[in-house]
Amino acid sequence: MAEPRMQKVDQVRAQGKAAVVKAFVGELKTVRQQGWGNLWGYFFIAPAIIMYIVFQAWPIIRGLFMAFSDYRWLLPETHGLAGFNGLDNWIEMIHDKTFWRSLGIAFKFTLLFMPFTLFFSLFVAVMISKVQHPVAAAVYRVIAYMPVVLPTSVAMLVWAKLYDPKFGYLNVMLQKIGVKNPPNWLGSPKTALYAMTIPTIWSRFGYWTLLFLVGIYNINREIYEAALVDGANGWQQFWYVTLPLLKPVFTLVLVLGSGVVSATVESMALFKGTSGGPAESCLTAGVYVYRTAFIHGDMRMGYAATMSLFLGIINMIITAIVFKTMRTERA
Amino acid sequence: MAAAARRMRRYFRGDQLFFNLALLIISLICLLPVVWVVSSSLKDRFELYMATPSLIPRHPTLANYEWMLTRADMSRLPLNLWNSFQLAMGSVIVQCITASMAGFAFARLDFRGRDLLFYLLIMLMFIPRAGGLMALYELMEFLHLRNTHIGLILWYPSAISVALFIMRQNFLSVPRELEEAAIIDGAGTWRLFLNVDLPFVMGGVVVVAIFEFVYVWGEYLVALTMLDFPELETVSIAVTKLRGWSAHFTSSVLAGYGAECAAYTVAMLPVIIVFILMQRWFMRGLSEGILKM
Repeated sequence: MAEPRMQKVDQVRAQGKAAVVKAFVGELKTVRQQGWGNLWGYFFIAPAIIMYIVFQAWPIIRGLFMAFSDYRWLLPETHGLAGFNGLDNWIEMIHDKTFWRSLGIAFKFTLLFMPFTLFFSLFVAVMISKVQHPVAAAVYRVIAYMPVVLPTSVAMLVWAKLYDPKFGYLNVMLQKIGVKNPPNWLGSPKTALYAMTIPTIWSRFGYWTLLFLVGIYNINREIYEAALVDGANGWQQFWYVTLPLLKPVFTLVLVLGSGVVSATVESMALFKGTSGGPAESCLTAGVYVYRTAFIHGDMRMGYAATMSLFLGIINMIITAIVFKTMRTERA
Repeated sequence: MAAAARRMRRYFRGDQLFFNLALLIISLICLLPVVWVVSSSLKDRFELYMATPSLIPRHPTLANYEWMLTRADMSRLPLNLWNSFQLAMGSVIVQCITASMAGFAFARLDFRGRDLLFYLLIMLMFIPRAGGLMALYELMEFLHLRNTHIGLILWYPSAISVALFIMRQNFLSVPRELEEAAIIDGAGTWRLFLNVDLPFVMGGVVVVAIFEFVYVWGEYLVALTMLDFPELETVSIAVTKLRGWSAHFTSSVLAGYGAECAAYTVAMLPVIIVFILMQRWFMRGLSEGILKM
């Protein structure tokens, strides 16, 4: 592919988020002085922009209003402006023990998931990048990425079959090794969250692996050769060349990973619904929000919107911290 | 020097052995769940109940599949598969059209406010989609699009960012000479788009299409929320509802376990086939799409 021609916007984007905001404001001031140019442009962007505004932008804006109203789907008198209740939802949330417990579970889940996936995907990516046989490397890439393309629900159910206490292969193997009474992995509140983490790692690490791998392949060979001339061994090359140059990928992966906090589909597929697993030990915040809005009682969408806005704010804070500490603006 | 180089090469050979062995083991572990489910789906009841199950079925049988796909009174699996296929193909077509048109405009056409809109799009990507699902439910009900496939076919491609970036990037790399020749020949905007640029960016269209296909095939939460009736459901929802009745309704030679495994295999198969046939495009999509954003 030919090297793409750069536009002004690409240069601004490369300078980071603050530059984008600044350029946006500058553009806002001068836009009236610009010529109309090719009017077909509006026609060409119209389908995408209209769909974006209707189905993406509007729900976000509407969600903000919902978060401050006692909106119950099954009670028409609370619809629209009538349900406005100020900060009542927020006060209720602060006192809602189930919510805080579900948030705690979500964090625990993320803390279990992130380090393993990060370490494992980087490890596999580095190893694949070292394989010199091109066909072998391609096969490893395909196998690592395959779980990622599977529907999340099916990926989880496949593991549920593996965990099955009666027919599952996992306990058969454990019994062969000599474990007398292997646990009922998904059935016991003690093990359920851990049992849920493994399939999630399995279904996502391939994505991260390939992102790291693309990053590694993009590193200039000459840098390694220079390091080799300087007498760096393999470990030093990894530590002083590969890792620092993979920083943008790390940023991206950490941001992607912080989205796991909600982990709605995983839990709902593994436990066949919004029960949250044995003794609600896997009731993550995302499932609790879903249940409040769509399953329980009058379908309390207002309160669910409040909680989900709160989760969104937490997510934004995590993202900001990641960007700050990684000191790379663009992934 | 030559000796050192040879020693170097041998050293690498040892390294290579280690890497390949380690990756082989990881690959096998990675494949185990899928292999287990596929093999269980090929086993009959007696083999499933055996005390020491094997990873490879001793007497493979398609009875589980036959039962799963033909007992329409209990399983709507063929219908669910057809629904998934419809939704995926519909979304792919809409996404390809909107993304390539918008990508072309952002890369190639000069119109007032283009850069402004582009900055706005970048900034909007950083806002989390909180509360979106509840508001989407209300919106879809208002538009009478709940419990329709059209609603979802419009919703899936509306998350345009990644596809738009990929297409814009592709349009930006069309050689200038190609376009200039066409413009001298008097080509207008449409001729430029359809006859000159679009054939050149077909690779980008393929990337956008396969990512959308895999995404829609596996999407769970929104489809679950928008579709109330089992006959509208996609296969990724239908498989989660199998337990309960499958164990109950099994005939004498079948176990629910095997039948469920057959259903999972059928649900996975299309994306696995697309993925294996198109694997190099996935790699390209990752390096062009999200990493460039």
